Amino acid sequence: MPEDVGESAAGRWRRKLLDLLSRNLSVVVLALLCLISSVATWREQNPITSRSGAAVARQVLEACPAPCSVLVVARDTEADRVFARAIEEGLDDSGVRIAGRVFGQPRDVRLELERLAGLDGSLDAIATHRIASDWGPVRSAGARVFSPRSYYWPTFLTPRNLLNVVNQNADIAIIALGMTLVILTAGIDLSVGSLLALAGVIAAVAAQEWFGGAAASPAGLLAAMLLGVAAAALGGLLSGTMVTAFRVPPFVATLGLMMLARGLALILAVGHQRRLVGGGAEGTPEAVRVDATAFAWLGNGAVLGVPNPIVLMLVLFIAAHVLMTRTMFGRYVYAVGGNVEAARLSGVPVTAVLLAVYCLCGAFTGLAGIVDASRFEGGRPNAGELYELQVIAAVVVGGASLAGGRGRIAGTLIGAMIIAVIQNGLNIAGVASYEQKVVFGALILGAVLLDRLQPKIASRRARMTRGSTPTPVQ
Amino acid sequence: MKRLLVGTAAAIALAALGACAGGMDGGESGSVARGTIGFSAMTLKNPFFKIIADSLTAEAERHGFDVVVTDAERDVNRQSQQVDNFLASGVVAIVLNPVDRIAIGPAVRRANEAGVPVFTSDLQAVADGVEIAGHVGTDNYQGGLLAGEAMIEALGEAGGEVLVLHFKQANSCVLRVDGFRHAIGEYNRDRTEGRIEIVAELEGGGLRDEGYRAMADGIQAYPDLAGVFAINDPSALGARTALEQAGRADQVRIVGFDGEIAGREAIRDGKIYADPIQYPDRMGVMTVQNIVRYLDGEDFERVHLIPTELYRQADAEQDPTLD
Repeated sequence: MPEDVGESAAGRWRRKLLDLLSRNLSVVVLALLCLISSVATWREQNPITSRSGAAVARQVLEACPAPCSVLVVARDTEADRVFARAIEEGLDDSGVRIAGRVFGQPRDVRLELERLAGLDGSLDAIATHRIASDWGPVRSAGARVFSPRSYYWPTFLTPRNLLNVVNQNADIAIIALGMTLVILTAGIDLSVGSLLALAGVIAAVAAQEWFGGAAASPAGLLAAMLLGVAAAALGGLLSGTMVTAFRVPPFVATLGLMMLARGLALILAVGHQRRLVGGGAEGTPEAVRVDATAFAWLGNGAVLGVPNPIVLMLVLFIAAHVLMTRTMFGRYVYAVGGNVEAARLSGVPVTAVLLAVYCLCGAFTGLAGIVDASRFEGGRPNAGELYELQVIAAVVVGGASLAGGRGRIAGTLIGAMIIAVIQNGLNIAGVASYEQKVVFGALILGAVLLDRLQPKIASRRARMTRGSTPTPVQ
Repeated sequence: MKRLLVGTAAAIALAALGACAGGMDGGESGSVARGTIGFSAMTLKNPFFKIIADSLTAEAERHGFDVVVTDAERDVNRQSQQVDNFLASGVVAIVLNPVDRIAIGPAVRRANEAGVPVFTSDLQAVADGVEIAGHVGTDNYQGGLLAGEAMIEALGEAGGEVLVLHFKQANSCVLRVDGFRHAIGEYNRDRTEGRIEIVAELEGGGLRDEGYRAMADGIQAYPDLAGVFAINDPSALGARTALEQAGRADQVRIVGFDGEIAGREAIRDGKIYADPIQYPDRMGVMTVQNIVRYLDGEDFERVHLIPTELYRQADAEQDPTLD
């Protein structure tokens, strides 16, 4: 092997650097991926802000001084209104006349231009943003068009996209936190996708039928959601019981629950639709719609500009991290995953730990389920299909070993983000979903391959720190 | 060993880079004269939606737009994410085949709030408070009526038991079956003999394999079937396979829907009796024309429904697009 141990200072530094890199490989991969995504999405950006509005006002003053008459064109969105206000403020007291303002669609511009043509007085300029400057009526108005200069910046690194990336995968990340505990005990939970759907459907049906439908109070909605989470936790407890009391392999126990929960979700949804149309007719497996608008807050609202699912994900991440690193329970989980017999002999309550782990995984899944239901304003019996695979992929890519005993909560979060960034990068670069599947497959194989190599690396590292002559390992 | 580790990391990164770069070439090949249109298809596994995607892309390029085609794979979660990605990358317009007419609502509302117009084709979105700039689809109720007429014609004076292979998740299919039921009801009204009874609606999923399984079950449950109405060609072809395997292909007549190539070939070969045919190519073209009119500030029909036409074996024999 080429590395010399303890030879020169440079060699030592090189070794330390490589060591750090290999320990935090997933962070390095994530950083690399962000870099790649940024390069691949280097695009023209069209600013719609108060600053760009002020810049347009300056352009107008320079090129079309008073007495110039200007039409301000923007769309009917919040950002557009801020932009338009900045233009007008920039033109205040300059003698430039605001002939009119449009907040709407191209059609509204056309109508406004027709209105202005009916009045006398010419229109000299249109102040707007790049997007609206391409609209037919703006281009053919016969006036000079002013819009902010566009600039180049990675679309990946825009705040909107970064929030998208995390928000879209917050549910996967939340479930992956629970799945990490299960995988640490050398178990697996295939039922998460179905439990997610079941939790969402139960919360939706409860909100609609028991807690008042459109008139449901916030407390009622909260109760409905907790019911959904409780159902998923109960599902997890059932898996845990099968695994501990009856020694059913986790793979089989959770496979059974996976089908059971999916079937229940569909039955509940179809039953609800049947009651809606007044019995008799066959129900459809459509989403169970929740009429209370407050129900959508968890999935679509935001706190200080950060979407709620991300906030929930971060809170759960911190809770899970503390649980696994600072508590006795966390040590127990690692002990059970490392060696069940040794754990049992040293007094770890193995059965209780396993039950708690599956139950927690179910509860986390239930939380993701109500996020999903809230996001789509109703419980979807088909939600979460194939989620189990994405979740397991996130945990494995995050460095946890499927053999149990090794893995970190922080690693899982990074794993989930790696998958999120790849998916997003491929999406905004316009790569078709078929190619995406190939990339993900390769990623998972790569991660598992690393996992297989890990023990060898660890033993090598141990030898090196002891200072003995390294022997080639193959 | 560490080299191997770093090498693996680099390989993963390179694979991603290659994929991204490949995508980028595709994205920037056409000049971005009038901006990009984002299209989220319901599922590109069904040729029907592929035709919409292709005709939409061709027409849009003719008008100087770029098109990004994505496949929602019948998952409204995925489709919502695609809408969010379109918004982040600054498209001028979004075109959807809504996977779920209600659950897609929040995503469409986000597009409305961002000021990006949303157009639908094939399926309509009906969620509360969403603004759809324009819709082009098939007149599915009229298509269902034609399917009913075809079934009456196929069964003749004898009538008999009929099964429906449904896909209830799609409202377009609900309308087709409504139209079909109406036509059959009208036919039965003054008859005591030779009536047509719709004995069941089974979920055919609108897919070949699911249609096959549903039909295989249907044969067991209803041994006296005389006809099947499948709400699209894939499920009709799946039903045909099940009937052939059960040795019942001669006794049970199939009416499909769509008129895609495989369906029309089956009609030519007498495997399907007839189809009300849809015009997905026109949907793609007209949707782009609506986008152009929208951006030019012109008025256009907000909801345009294209009527279907019945396509029988005689039409297939003269169809120049079949070899």
